[in-house]
Amino acid sequence: MPDVEALREPRRHPRASAIIAASSRVAWADLRTIYTPLTWTVGWLGRIVMQVVFYALIGTLLGDHRTFVFLFVGQAVMACVMEVFMSIASTTWERGAGTLPLLTAAPGSLWPVFVGRSLQWLPSGAATACVALFVVGPFLGVSWSLPTAPLAAAAVLLTGASMYPFALTIAAYALRRPGWRNVLSSVASTVTMLICGVTVPLEFWPTWVHTLANALPITHGLDAVRTLQSVTITGSALPQLGWTALSGIAWFAIAVCAFNVFGAAGRRDGSIGFGD
Amino acid sequence: MMRQTWRFITAGFYFQLRMMRGKPDWFLALITAPLSTAVFLTIFLHAERQDLTAYAVLGPALIALWQMSLVTAGELITFERENGTLEALVAAPARFSAVLFGRILAVCGVSLFAFVESWAVGWAVTGRPESINRPVILAATLLLTVLAMAGWAGVMACVFVLARSARTFQNALSYPFFVLGGVIVPEALLPEWLQWPAKLVFLSWSSDLLRASLSASPATNVSLRLLAIAILGVAGYLLAAVLLERTLRRVRQTGSLAHA
Repeated sequence: MPDVEALREPRRHPRASAIIAASSRVAWADLRTIYTPLTWTVGWLGRIVMQVVFYALIGTLLGDHRTFVFLFVGQAVMACVMEVFMSIASTTWERGAGTLPLLTAAPGSLWPVFVGRSLQWLPSGAATACVALFVVGPFLGVSWSLPTAPLAAAAVLLTGASMYPFALTIAAYALRRPGWRNVLSSVASTVTMLICGVTVPLEFWPTWVHTLANALPITHGLDAVRTLQSVTITGSALPQLGWTALSGIAWFAIAVCAFNVFGAAGRRDGSIGFGD
Repeated sequence: MMRQTWRFITAGFYFQLRMMRGKPDWFLALITAPLSTAVFLTIFLHAERQDLTAYAVLGPALIALWQMSLVTAGELITFERENGTLEALVAAPARFSAVLFGRILAVCGVSLFAFVESWAVGWAVTGRPESINRPVILAATLLLTVLAMAGWAGVMACVFVLARSARTFQNALSYPFFVLGGVIVPEALLPEWLQWPAKLVFLSWSSDLLRASLSASPATNVSLRLLAIAILGVAGYLLAAVLLERTLRRVRQTGSLAHA
């Protein structure tokens, strides 16, 4: 009698980095399908710049240039985060495409697939925010100094990257309710705008709201960008950047758990392909 | 003929209401309107400008009206195309434009609920309800705004048929028009070179009149401003009629109804 165990192929568990690299290829392909260079520039970038200007103009209504700059910087950084929140929708596309049961059955973990799957929004978001801040901003009186501007650009990218796992955590829930993906994304985005110092300083809110806001990386990242916009010493924003990265790492761990819980629950009750 | 057209419009209206039931995406603008109202209110409250809270209440409601009407209603044809039902709708004996108008009107009508939401949030946040000092002006402006919006949504519905990517149009449609439409910052405060294009956007006339209807100061040139909304609305209907006729003729000739 042949040795059945010897005939079995050894179980191979692909490395997480290899899965992320593979699924990110889908992300870039998606980006190329959604936008051409022209539609990205005219359609998306134009829209984002107008959104930033729309909010900043409230400073004009209030007759206060400081409010104008505050709203401009806040909305520009928020633009990057808003785009990162699109990963909530793009995560659920796998469910719509019918590939989620296959991904769950595959030997690799589910979380690296989704970490790579929506990476396309991050460079696009950071680019739109940087164009608003460093190209449009100076025309409207939002000035930058040379040593701080590159660090502010890095801070925008770090803020987007740190908010990405937060968006993925919501996305893990949206996989159960794909019909609500756009609502979840919009509500998360508006609540973030409301409490994280994007439109009003954190001090406006009661202490318990501070605690919530401080748990989100954008609160620290945006604070860093604001500091870099108002000073010329690059080191002054380092503590905020540290908090941004730390809170991003914490959200990454939560996102991994959320996808693991989703996968385990789906296998247990057979609900992977049958959400609403 | 008129009675028949009315029947098609009401059929489209009720069909759309049934379609929207239980689908959160149709109500996205209504779900976010209360949160947006809170965003604008907190900006004005933080600046200690309680006199501007009416702006914060009307702005998000107008944004919701615009988004639901132009963006969502504009996507109606795209939705039918994806659903594989556009050919049957165009070939049916009922006039496609009448059914489409009824459906767009349903979306625009539902979007008016955003005004109630924003007003309620304004009351909850500031502790006092925003007084409606001129209810007749408010009602007339809202009615004309919704009708004008339905006309321009018809234009968008046609553009979406021939556009490669409806999403691109959707993105470009929002904030540039919120700036030009003066939904939060009145058109008079925009740079001079932007004020003339803003006058061509009916939303700028609507938002000014809506603010005037809440304000305690006397409203001036009301009839003239209502007429401006009506004229720009009629322009939308005329353009929509021409575009729909041309669009349908073109897609019938090229056989590209389902793949334009």
